[in-house]
Amino acid sequence: MLREFCIILLLTVIGVAYSLVSGLSPLPRAVTALEAGEICLADAQAIGVIWVDAGGIKKIEETHIPDALFFDEDDWDTRLFELMNTWLIEPRPIVIYCESEGCDTSKRIAKRLRQSLPEAEIYSLKGGRGAWQE
Amino acid sequence: MAGVNPEVRSMAYLVLLGRLIVSVAFILAALPKIQDPAAFAISVEGYRVVTANLAMWIALVLPWLELATGFGLLIPQIRRGSNLIIALLLIVFIALHASAWARGLDINCGCFNAHESEKTPDYLWLILRNIGLLTACIFVLIRDWQHRVRREDTSTS
Repeated sequence: MLREFCIILLLTVIGVAYSLVSGLSPLPRAVTALEAGEICLADAQAIGVIWVDAGGIKKIEETHIPDALFFDEDDWDTRLFELMNTWLIEPRPIVIYCESEGCDTSKRIAKRLRQSLPEAEIYSLKGGRGAWQE
Repeated sequence: MAGVNPEVRSMAYLVLLGRLIVSVAFILAALPKIQDPAAFAISVEGYRVVTANLAMWIALVLPWLELATGFGLLIPQIRRGSNLIIALLLIVFIALHASAWARGLDINCGCFNAHESEKTPDYLWLILRNIGLLTACIFVLIRDWQHRVRREDTSTS
């Protein structure tokens, strides 16, 4: 039986090596912990949230999460009203995302929104739109 | 199998059928996940029982283990080991689905296709399907074991 397990293990290791060498899979990376107010994609998808795209109008036209609301800081009141309408109809956590891990817009908007909507659960998406596209 | 008892023969066919069903199920489950490990890692993370880093490793290793054991069921030299590993995996899958169901998680099952995330999984169906596969696995394991014992008895007498 031990011999059988060894053969299966060997076959599995060969397969894993193939995935890594051929580029099918990236090397599992060390994942940094979530910062306060952040949420990861899997959790956001699991709980069902209101998506808010803070990445700019051109980007949202190109690619965005389905049913995401567009949010432009320059047009704060109109966008806030729109978001409140959606949230009041069916209160759910709100997740804001922007271009990538590096962009700060989503965190900034989330911070402002927490003041405008103190009763809502508001997060910024870890990894931004990049996490979704992966 | 000329001259073999018909009951023994039909049992042999049943064992072969059970083995084929489980084997095909595991091979079909493994292939899409091997092609897209990143999407499968998100499915694994969705169960919220492991960290993101561990989910990535599971997404890398598990599909190859499924493929190796799926084919292994059809290779006499590693048949028993494959069957045992598959049975253990199925028990883990059943426990994970039951746990996700109990917690009310709306997740991607990650069973046969990494992109199943659009709809809520039917947990009852997933659990029953895995119980069916586990039953087939246990049946094949028992028959193999009985066959082995019988063969050992014949060789010693």
